[in-house]
Amino acid sequence: MDIFIGILEQGLIYSLLALGIYITYTILNFPDLTVDSSFPLGAAVSVRLIAAGVNPWLSLLPALLAGCLAGFITGIIHVKFKVKDLFSGIIVMTGLYSVNLFIAGKANLPIFQASTIFLPGQTFLARAPWSRYATILVSAVIVLLVKIGLDLYFQTKSGLLLRAVGDNHNLPTSLAVDANSMKVLGLALANGLVALSGAVLGQQQRFFEISMGTGSMVMGLASVILGIKLLDFIPKLRPSSKVILGSIAYKAVIAAAIALGLSPNSLKLVTALLLLVILVLSGRSKGQDPLRSI
Amino acid sequence: MNLHIRQASKRLNSSSARPKPFAFLSLILPLCICLLFTACAREPGQEPSQSNVNNQPQAIDSSHFTLGISQFAQHPSLDNCREGFLQGLAAEGFVEGKNLTIDYQNANADMAVAAQISENFVGKKYDMIMAIATPSAMHAFNAARDTDISVIYTAVSDPVAAGLADEEGKSLGNLTGTSDALPVDAQLKMIREIMPQAKKLGILYTLSEANSEATLARYQDLVGKYNFELITVGISNSSDIPLATDKILKEVDCLTNLTDNTVVNSLPLILDKAYQKNIPVFGSEVEQVALGCLAAEGLDYLALGQQTGHMAARVLRGEVQAGDVPFETITEAYLYLNLEAADKLGISLSQDCQDRAKEVFTETLTP
Repeated sequence: MDIFIGILEQGLIYSLLALGIYITYTILNFPDLTVDSSFPLGAAVSVRLIAAGVNPWLSLLPALLAGCLAGFITGIIHVKFKVKDLFSGIIVMTGLYSVNLFIAGKANLPIFQASTIFLPGQTFLARAPWSRYATILVSAVIVLLVKIGLDLYFQTKSGLLLRAVGDNHNLPTSLAVDANSMKVLGLALANGLVALSGAVLGQQQRFFEISMGTGSMVMGLASVILGIKLLDFIPKLRPSSKVILGSIAYKAVIAAAIALGLSPNSLKLVTALLLLVILVLSGRSKGQDPLRSI
Repeated sequence: MNLHIRQASKRLNSSSARPKPFAFLSLILPLCICLLFTACAREPGQEPSQSNVNNQPQAIDSSHFTLGISQFAQHPSLDNCREGFLQGLAAEGFVEGKNLTIDYQNANADMAVAAQISENFVGKKYDMIMAIATPSAMHAFNAARDTDISVIYTAVSDPVAAGLADEEGKSLGNLTGTSDALPVDAQLKMIREIMPQAKKLGILYTLSEANSEATLARYQDLVGKYNFELITVGISNSSDIPLATDKILKEVDCLTNLTDNTVVNSLPLILDKAYQKNIPVFGSEVEQVALGCLAAEGLDYLALGQQTGHMAARVLRGEVQAGDVPFETITEAYLYLNLEAADKLGISLSQDCQDRAKEVFTETLTP
């Protein structure tokens, strides 16, 4: 039972990251490597602010905005300076490494004694019987709010245009809307979510670590693919719900691998095979380019 | 205009509307793969390690304990910690397979995996979590926070900086352990003894390794005492090492290492460049001397593990609460020498020095 608590906690927190990657990869068709650094950026901002005594809930906002700024810069480098999508992400990701160290002050910053959004200090709440579900409850609320917000946004004119950009670069242009600014907007939004995810994780694990973003893009992408592909047979489900479920499923697979005593050396191989199998099978059944058909 | 957009959005949505015959297959197959891997996962290296028990178990507890070991990375020093830990427990009567079940997991330096390992242990309600190295210790502390599971850590260079203990050394939760703070003073003294003329001491370190940062601060404090000037170069990953090494070698009389994983993993390259310029490189642990460093005042990680094992045994027996035991720092340093390196550098090591050494290597191991 407790194992499922761990899976839900991790899955929910990382689902914010996956939602961000859903926007860049699936909607914008943009391989955004900024993620590997905007994820720890969110944690750095939030953890540093909490260490300085700022309210943990309040610290989420600057974290989200910092992520938006990172995505915005990637977008500007791409559309204004005509740098290839992959490179613009790499440039910002590399630069952010130093920025993250600068923000946090050091490579590893603990906030074990500070209160976080999950437990309001060492109060009576911490000893309540439901306190072990506190992390799930709080992260579920955040994820739900983000999901509803995203779903609503996708229904607005701006949201629909955003979804059109990745699919057909000319459509927004034909509607007299600048496709490039939609791209920048999408990248900012996506990296904001990624940074929010990092901030929430930083508060859950109660420390910032400079290397905590390594591989987060792959992790998020795996969650997106898992969710969208595996739940393809439920047409009623919104993509955002599928991505959230995909993130939980991804963490479940990793937890199962650990619980079953899988050698740590082959953990990454399992992830790789998992992605390959899902992509190949679903791609073949459709006869389309697997990634674009998500 | 709105119609256009609505149609576009409909088209975007429609791709997920058809049921896929392969969907279920793609659900089943990864699971099969996982199972397959699990079947093969019991490699020799992953076998629960058989610790040699020379001492007669003192008092065999009738109850059975389950203990999860969360190790951050694969590294000879950390492996020695784990080996020593099991020996320490065995000496106290807790023998694996008899009254102790060990679940050993290694995160291979992946932060997200380290978090999941600890949560998995907590989920399985183990009696104790043993965490090796700082990131694993922090994750274990956080995961076991609101439970009655004790956490015992080892190989944490600075438990205070890691938020595991306060300035007075008092534990900040239901945990305790041992610290492997490097014997910086002994190391500097030894370097001064071997190189009486040296002025500038260089250190390469990784910006992302908190342990290195903590140790570096102690070097800063102590170099003045031995009349050294400290020159440091920070790198962000292993690909920076060739250029960083070239740069630092231009400025220093000798180099000394921390227990910095990234730097130590590139040791052969650093040694090659340094010895070409006839600049000695000092290590910080026995493995580094075995690989070609001139000398080191290092810790005995097996002993560190054993000490941790004894602490864990007291907690398991219920004699003490982990949170009531202050963390212990191993202080005894041992000298290790590499004569082949000394030969290459044209440095003669005094007989006195050689007699004092715990281990003298006459040839360098190839990694």
